[in-house]
Amino acid sequence: MNMLASIPGVLDAAVLAQASAPAPMAQSQLAHYMFISAALFAIGLIGFLTRRNLIIMFLCTELMFQAAGVALIAFSRFHMNMTGQTFVIFILTVAAAEAAMALALVVLLFRRRESLNAEEFSEMKG
Amino acid sequence: MMDRLAYLWPEIALFIAACVVMVVGISPSVATRKFAAVVAGLGVVAAGILAWTTTPSGNAVTASSGQVLLPGLALYAKVGIAIVALLLLLLKPGTVDRAEEAAIALGVQKFDALRTNRAEFFSFFLFSVMGLMLVAGADDLIWLFLALELTSLPTYIMVAISGGAGREPAARAQEASVKYFFLGALGAAVFLYGFAMLYGATGSTNLNAIHLSLTTGGVSGLALAGLLMSVLGICFKIAAVPMHFYTPDVYQGASPSVAGFLAFVPKTAGFLSLLLLASAVGWTWAPGENGLTVSGGGTSLPEPLRILFWVIAALTMTIGNVLALQQKSVRRILAYSSIAHSGYMLVGLIAGPGDGSFTKNGVAAVLFYLFCYGVMNVGTFAVLSGLERKTRDGQMSEIDSIEDIRGLCATHPRLGWPMAICSLSLLGFPPLLGFWAKLPLFTSAISAGEIILVIVLGLNSAIAAFYYLRLFGAVFLEKPEAGAGEVTASPFVSRRVAAMVSAALVVALVVVVGQLTDASRKAAAPKAEPAASATIPASMNH
Repeated sequence: MNMLASIPGVLDAAVLAQASAPAPMAQSQLAHYMFISAALFAIGLIGFLTRRNLIIMFLCTELMFQAAGVALIAFSRFHMNMTGQTFVIFILTVAAAEAAMALALVVLLFRRRESLNAEEFSEMKG
Repeated sequence: MMDRLAYLWPEIALFIAACVVMVVGISPSVATRKFAAVVAGLGVVAAGILAWTTTPSGNAVTASSGQVLLPGLALYAKVGIAIVALLLLLLKPGTVDRAEEAAIALGVQKFDALRTNRAEFFSFFLFSVMGLMLVAGADDLIWLFLALELTSLPTYIMVAISGGAGREPAARAQEASVKYFFLGALGAAVFLYGFAMLYGATGSTNLNAIHLSLTTGGVSGLALAGLLMSVLGICFKIAAVPMHFYTPDVYQGASPSVAGFLAFVPKTAGFLSLLLLASAVGWTWAPGENGLTVSGGGTSLPEPLRILFWVIAALTMTIGNVLALQQKSVRRILAYSSIAHSGYMLVGLIAGPGDGSFTKNGVAAVLFYLFCYGVMNVGTFAVLSGLERKTRDGQMSEIDSIEDIRGLCATHPRLGWPMAICSLSLLGFPPLLGFWAKLPLFTSAISAGEIILVIVLGLNSAIAAFYYLRLFGAVFLEKPEAGAGEVTASPFVSRRVAAMVSAALVVALVVVVGQLTDASRKAAAPKAEPAASATIPASMNH
């Protein structure tokens, strides 16, 4: 029932509270999760900008996706609604689709160049 | 349920067409295989008709069924998308499987359903257009994220396979695809994190609810950070400044038929989502006398967001135009011009809805510009994909250098004239469509008081004249090169047709420009009567 009710967007917090009645999350607790999530995002971003191996670069973008996932779950608990958690399920799906595509591209390029160094792929300039 | 479904009929038609194309495209019979493009075309036509007849707009939109911030957006955008997509589809035949089909026809090679990729190419085209239409109908951040990804993911593969079988073009296309994909994944992660912060600040992913929360409760720091990150991430889709590096390489590496697609579909998706986000945070609507006007002249975006848009717009225009000046490759010129056009459109976004009348309405100006840009841009890329020359390894490949289009009006008038007309229109030359598209951007920005930005826009239009006139001069004034015979028209007639149709539209649509601007004004209009569930206070105008 809760899932159905959440489709239009905002789930009634009272319904959820009745069902399981967890204690609301304190702002300070939320801050811990936000710190982890921001750290993951920053590590991903720095890694993307500094590393030159295509697979590592892709893993860094995955890290950034998961950082958003952690933030969404923490917010979901903070606001006592399920929307954030629903969002995460979709993010996982999209991340899987992107991973499939990234690996396909990496295989394609490796066959041609025998290398995964991003700097080698710079035929076009200007 | 049914009121939700009412938004999705065009997408359902595209989805069905995409599935049929996937089956038809791997048929062992040539005639059936060739039918894939026709099925895709029928799907787009059906989607356009369904969008026109079934999409609710104005007061038919309720907060439970769609986004009420820009209730006319879905109808206008979907119909416009279907028209431009049909033109783009005309460029597609022969892009990926030309060498393969030739070999099969000669009997050198046997048809292998596992190795051919015509079916994927056309169905990915349809999936991407479907994603774009879903962006236009989005009322939720989850929906918006999925729709943006559905628009982008197929385009990465389209770029990768667009090189065909020739060794050189295939290598360039794959390199382009890798650049495009990796920056695209970065952009997606950035705007996704922005969406997460917006949800954290408002407790909802529904755009109506976010609007309500931000306008009544004020824009918190977290919400603002989320908005800024969303905008930066979406800059990748519109090829705006911090995320524009990939554009020239990708447009040059991909075949022009796919580059033309990239210049319209992801860019439109980006702009529609920027409009949705901006309308969720600001732009206070209130019903006026004729039911369509809004209160509060000028922008009501939060100041940091306005400054961010301002800086991005000014830098995007300037960098795009200045770098375009020194290019020798027509594809790179068009890529930089595509960056510059994003900058122009951001001016309309900054101007905001004004008082709702067309000359002061920046939102309507952006929507109108997107459609006009789509039409003119298809024309230029159609000309490039309609001409070819031999590469070193003996394969035919589409032209790239500006030398190759010299004297085109004399040698290939059916491609030369469209190039001349479309490049003048992209420049904004007065009687043509591009002029009518650019004019409201200027007027809306002036009425919003963005005088410096208008000056930047004017200067940039002048800089742009150099390279557009260079294109125009090359095809119209210059004599063909001695070895002009090397450049031949492509055997795919539909590409020539696309070039001629879009050039004809650039001229002919000027006659109905009044109706078109009226349609875009309605698309940017708020609901006439605010619904009880989405009553919007007029408190944002101080």
